[in-house]
Amino acid sequence: MKKQMLLLMMVVLLIGSVLAGCGNADETGGAESGDATTINFLHWRGEDTEAFNAIIEKFEEENPNINVEMNALPSDSYIANASATLLSGKGADVFASFPGSQFEALQESGAYVELGDQAFIDRFSENMLGAGQKDGKQLAVPYQLVYNIPVYNKGVFEELGLEPPKDWDGFLEVSQTLKDNGYDPILFAGDVSPSQFINPMVMNNQPSDEAFAQLETGEEKLTNDWFVKTLSQIKELNDKGYFQKDPLGTKKEGAAALFAQEKGAMLALGSYMMATVAEQNPDIEQGLLSPITVSEDEMKYEGIHTSTFMLGVNAKSEHQDEAMKFIEFLTKPEIASEYANATGQLLTVKDVEYDSPELTETAAWLDKKTLFQPRYTLSKEQVSKAIETAIQDVLSGVEPEEAAKKAQEEVDRAIK
Amino acid sequence: MQSNNNVERVGGASVASPYVASTAKKRKKKWNWALFFFVLPGFIIYSVFFAGPTVAALFLSLTDWNGIAPTFNYVGFSNYTNMLTDDPIFVQSLGNNLKFTLGVLIFQTVLSLFFAMLLVKNTKANIFYRAVYFFPTIVASVSVAFVWTFMYDPNIGVINNILSAVGLENLAKSWLGDRNIAIYSLAFVQFWAHTGQMLIIFVAGLHAIPKELYEAAEIEGASKWQTFKSITWPLLAPSATIVVAYTTIQSFKAFDLVIAMTGGGPSYATEILSTFLYHEAFINFRFGYASAAAVIFMIIIAIVTVLQFRLLKSNDVKF
Repeated sequence: MKKQMLLLMMVVLLIGSVLAGCGNADETGGAESGDATTINFLHWRGEDTEAFNAIIEKFEEENPNINVEMNALPSDSYIANASATLLSGKGADVFASFPGSQFEALQESGAYVELGDQAFIDRFSENMLGAGQKDGKQLAVPYQLVYNIPVYNKGVFEELGLEPPKDWDGFLEVSQTLKDNGYDPILFAGDVSPSQFINPMVMNNQPSDEAFAQLETGEEKLTNDWFVKTLSQIKELNDKGYFQKDPLGTKKEGAAALFAQEKGAMLALGSYMMATVAEQNPDIEQGLLSPITVSEDEMKYEGIHTSTFMLGVNAKSEHQDEAMKFIEFLTKPEIASEYANATGQLLTVKDVEYDSPELTETAAWLDKKTLFQPRYTLSKEQVSKAIETAIQDVLSGVEPEEAAKKAQEEVDRAIK
Repeated sequence: MQSNNNVERVGGASVASPYVASTAKKRKKKWNWALFFFVLPGFIIYSVFFAGPTVAALFLSLTDWNGIAPTFNYVGFSNYTNMLTDDPIFVQSLGNNLKFTLGVLIFQTVLSLFFAMLLVKNTKANIFYRAVYFFPTIVASVSVAFVWTFMYDPNIGVINNILSAVGLENLAKSWLGDRNIAIYSLAFVQFWAHTGQMLIIFVAGLHAIPKELYEAAEIEGASKWQTFKSITWPLLAPSATIVVAYTTIQSFKAFDLVIAMTGGGPSYATEILSTFLYHEAFINFRFGYASAAAVIFMIIIAIVTVLQFRLLKSNDVKF
């Protein structure tokens, strides 16, 4: 009997110690140690960790009572992992989020504190703040800026006496000249380009910043002329051999490698690829151009931009003032410049000084008339996927009308 | 021994004797509750990590929860009816899964058996080759995916470059971009990565067959085919069943390879059930719908598993 009791006590102790081990560290550690408050900064850019660490060090020197703990999650599972902790009240104090459907999902759940009355808002280019607004409230501030338009090889264009085209006929002529001279005119990455190239292709065919958003309300249809025309133009590029061989089988890395090897003249991705290409081939001179799908006088937009890496403060954070201070610090022009140059990212913050040719080239686009990426105006990812699939269908040989019809059926299912 | 004696007594008597009844009563009293606590950790872990999520998935499949919002609506069985009657992507995913599984199953089973027959003798060379064939199994599947994605690249990939170099450019394909062949390209990588594992099971099965049977067949003058048909195959059937069962479930659950190589594209040509439910949950934020897909997926796996257990039982050979 004694043995049994001993055995029983041992088992109970064992279970107790295991359960105690599973307990929340906060219960013993807590967010505050001594006089210092610790805030948590959550984002998905693991590649920027070093740059952020240097900035955090400076922030902590300037604010000795605040410690910043940084966590970077993988981007593809970011929102799923981040949202659960954010809404539990135990998540990050400052967090980054993507625009579009992910921002929508988080704001619907009340994850953000309004930032509209913060002084640092004035440090941003006003037209770049829209992605973080909802119902007139500034819930997040987009920190990074990318242009989702093709990157082109300036050297090749100069060698052949070409200029970035200003209309559709010009785009076809340039492509033909490149092809005649042995270059793949457009390097298309089957996994990423469908969701990127569609944006500049559609921006002047339906020059409205609500065209895609209206698909979700049923006011627009993918069977409408503007979308079928866009698909027909993509088919024309494919039929004329202006994409490299087997575009759908080429991945982003493969397309970028061909571009860096100067086998192709345009890379149908975006400005975010310029730093990678420059690393692979430091001699390549890069620029940005848009396929203008209409005549020059009909053109409304010159390109597509996406303001992303939207910084927000968790509505359930107990350290909102400290979190605001950290965002304020990140948006100081000298700190933003340090981050931009260390990571190769163009920022939405004004008065940033860029020191690389790629960033300088990209920054020139700030003055151009660009449209916020239409795909990110969609709140339902299924609609975005339907558009992407329509392009893949056309590149697989499906007629544009048929691909558009199939895509609209998918949209109808998503919004019903 | 006590137990056997009791059984004999019970078996030998038409009614239970008072002795047996009192022994049973004593045994009931002897039930040791402390033992219950030994299974408690396992029970808790199973409940929290397996039973709990399964019940939660069943419940969530009846809701429209988006995976983030604190609230949701009860939608009954509409997730199931929509999926089964009005979701061509789900149907396509199921079809792709069958193509993928059948492709892997046939090639993996046949070729791993073939290689096992070649490498059955424990010579140094054979042991070396078995290790070589087994090697891909220990490589992380995401690494396998990245390497094969580069190899399959139509422009810079080694496969098309070799085909072109030897004058077979007609056979060069857009391996992952052509929606008619992309799923089979993935199946080939799955087959490449796991054949070595199945080979080892077959080798073990072949070693378990008594040599005397082969000697008897030789004395009887049986041909190699007759020996295979009448001795090797029937006695290897339990191993084959394990290989078939394992390959089927492994192929049905394939996820990392597909996500890393094609993400389910182009045009859903490589979307399978596991990637379908991932996309619904974590990309489309339809956790309720994804849970319904998970329940259907679970039922399919359960049916396949039950069928295979039955096969396993019927193939149980004694010698």
